[in-house]
Amino acid sequence: MSFYAHFTLPFIIGALAMFAIIAYRYTSWIVQLPRRDKALLRKGILSFATIRSVWEVICESLLHVKIWRRDPRLGYMHMSLAFGWFLLIAVGSVESLLYTGTLLVPLQGHVFFRYFATAIDKHIPLMDNIMDGLLLFVLSGVALAWFKRLRSRALGMRRTTRHTIGDRLALSTLWFIFPARLVAESVTAAIYGGGGFLTGSLGALLGEVVPASVLQALFEPVWWFYSSVLGIFFVAMPFSRYMHIFTEIPLIFLRNYRLSVGDKRTSYDNFQVQACSRCGICIDPCQLQAELGLNDVQSVYFLRDRREHQLTLNTAATCLMCGRCSTACPVGIDLNALRLNSRVEMRNTPSEKRFVYLRGLDRSEGMGKVGYFAGCMTMLTPRTLSAMQSIFEAADEQVWWADKSGGVCCGRPLKLSGERDSAHKMVAYNTELFRKHEITTLVTSCPICLRTFKEDYNLEGIEVLHHSEYIARLISSGRLRLRKGEGAFVYHDPCELGRGCGIYDAPREVISALGTLLEAKHNRRDALCCGSSLANLSIGDQAQLRIASSLTQELEQSGADTLVTACPLCKKALGRSAKVPTRDLSEIVAENIV
Amino acid sequence: MASNFGFSISKPRVIDIDRNNLRKSNEILREMPELQSCIGCGSCTASCTAGNLTSYNFRKVHTLVRRGEYVGAYEEMNKCMLCGKCRLVCPRGINTRKVAMLIKRKLGDF
Repeated sequence: MSFYAHFTLPFIIGALAMFAIIAYRYTSWIVQLPRRDKALLRKGILSFATIRSVWEVICESLLHVKIWRRDPRLGYMHMSLAFGWFLLIAVGSVESLLYTGTLLVPLQGHVFFRYFATAIDKHIPLMDNIMDGLLLFVLSGVALAWFKRLRSRALGMRRTTRHTIGDRLALSTLWFIFPARLVAESVTAAIYGGGGFLTGSLGALLGEVVPASVLQALFEPVWWFYSSVLGIFFVAMPFSRYMHIFTEIPLIFLRNYRLSVGDKRTSYDNFQVQACSRCGICIDPCQLQAELGLNDVQSVYFLRDRREHQLTLNTAATCLMCGRCSTACPVGIDLNALRLNSRVEMRNTPSEKRFVYLRGLDRSEGMGKVGYFAGCMTMLTPRTLSAMQSIFEAADEQVWWADKSGGVCCGRPLKLSGERDSAHKMVAYNTELFRKHEITTLVTSCPICLRTFKEDYNLEGIEVLHHSEYIARLISSGRLRLRKGEGAFVYHDPCELGRGCGIYDAPREVISALGTLLEAKHNRRDALCCGSSLANLSIGDQAQLRIASSLTQELEQSGADTLVTACPLCKKALGRSAKVPTRDLSEIVAENIV
Repeated sequence: MASNFGFSISKPRVIDIDRNNLRKSNEILREMPELQSCIGCGSCTASCTAGNLTSYNFRKVHTLVRRGEYVGAYEEMNKCMLCGKCRLVCPRGINTRKVAMLIKRKLGDF
């Protein structure tokens, strides 16, 4: 039998255009990958990573497990649209196989099967009912999506994304696709009979209410309409946010092959940027939105602007890079790394003539296998420095002090502001300094330095520790004995230490050895930012204070008598608005040494 | 005898800041109006990491740039490590880190 009717043309043309555009894009992105990434791709493709990726695609692209975990209603909405549509296509091909007995049914044959089935004198009620059930499944998702536009809060989102015109066009056609299918199939059922519990009964109802001549006149137009909305959606898709539907799949594979976003823009970034569905889940966690009402700098808008080549320095620069949005992102896009390489592109300048004064500089003191790097910020919180000194003395540790009387910055502030080449100068200087003094352990009390030591330095043979880890180790090995008191401490997770380096437990162990540990409402991976982040290049002092105040309030609500943190910058920020004392972890340790 | 009692001003050594071109300076001020509240206390310079190692002086560079003395400001500002301590100690809460970046951006040509 023939599977062609004129009305299928919009669908066929739209689908061909979409697949051609997508195939062209993916091929050119893959071809343009740097050689290192291509090698990773070749190595990964025949490994276990591929199987893992397939599983992840099922979980994330179809079932949307991460969104389920965030909010079941939102998860159901995304799943019903993605998984439901997928099943409609998959089960639809089974349906056409059972009806026609051949696998050689062209694409439009599956999609408009009920139209072509009118020529077949055969009914498989079970199949009809299953297909109707799936259609109902998808329609329930569409209904939720409509409802979400009206009342996002009902689906667990305080704010949703503001869309561009292209997005709105694609979104509107998407919303019409399934209702159009329902109407087309019901009208067909009204005239020719058949259909399952949904289209069949709707068809029977239509048959009674609407005169047969009207139904006959409607028959072709409803199928034309269904085909046209599909066609328009397919053409609009690669130019709208719906590009994410397919792009998330290669992204998952490439990510599992260990491709990553670096400080230079590469073609892999395209997969990351275009995999953003603009779901807007990143908006609610953003404190700039919650505390300052800034509505156009969040990751979803950053990615949109970057994709449309309209990124401004202001959008790229206004961000604390606290990482709360990356943690929430259901697609797992490397949001901070992307923002960082945009900043590098805008602000990096060659640095040959810069920092010549670093040559031959060495103000370090002492001798020892353990090096202590205070970092710039610790120099502004001298109590942390003296506390560390007493801890080292109590543990009888021979320490080499890298920067007690003035040292060189670790380079992370320059890196975060996009001046990559200058940051490399700091990295090279400090690495040489550590090597020269032959230390085997490097302790720092600044999480900002810690993170850059771990990520950007090549310190093979030197163990890099945050002071919280170092102190926890001293306690567990019995080299440091502490007095446990009555104090109630609430611990604030610094962004760079927690989400940045994954260190959550060491500071808590140390506090538990001193007194009662309390938790704030947002803690660990979900912890709030103090607002003083060095990644922020534009927010002013009063705005920072507002962010810090709401954090201190939350911390104080835990009922603690002391706020404890493990970052000099957080300590400075919290101390400005806290009613109870704010201490660095090392201070409360040093006070309670037995 | 002339009325200057034999004394005179050596013309080439005069720095007349009123004649400086303040276009860049005004641009900087427009982007960061809070700079007008700077009291020139020098806390920024006192706490500066780079200033501790070299003769780099943030207050001096900022003051000169505001007066329209741009020559050498870019090179001086490039000594800054952007560590941000100056920002934490500023009694007027000026985002000094942004000032450093802004001066670099505006005066790259001088």
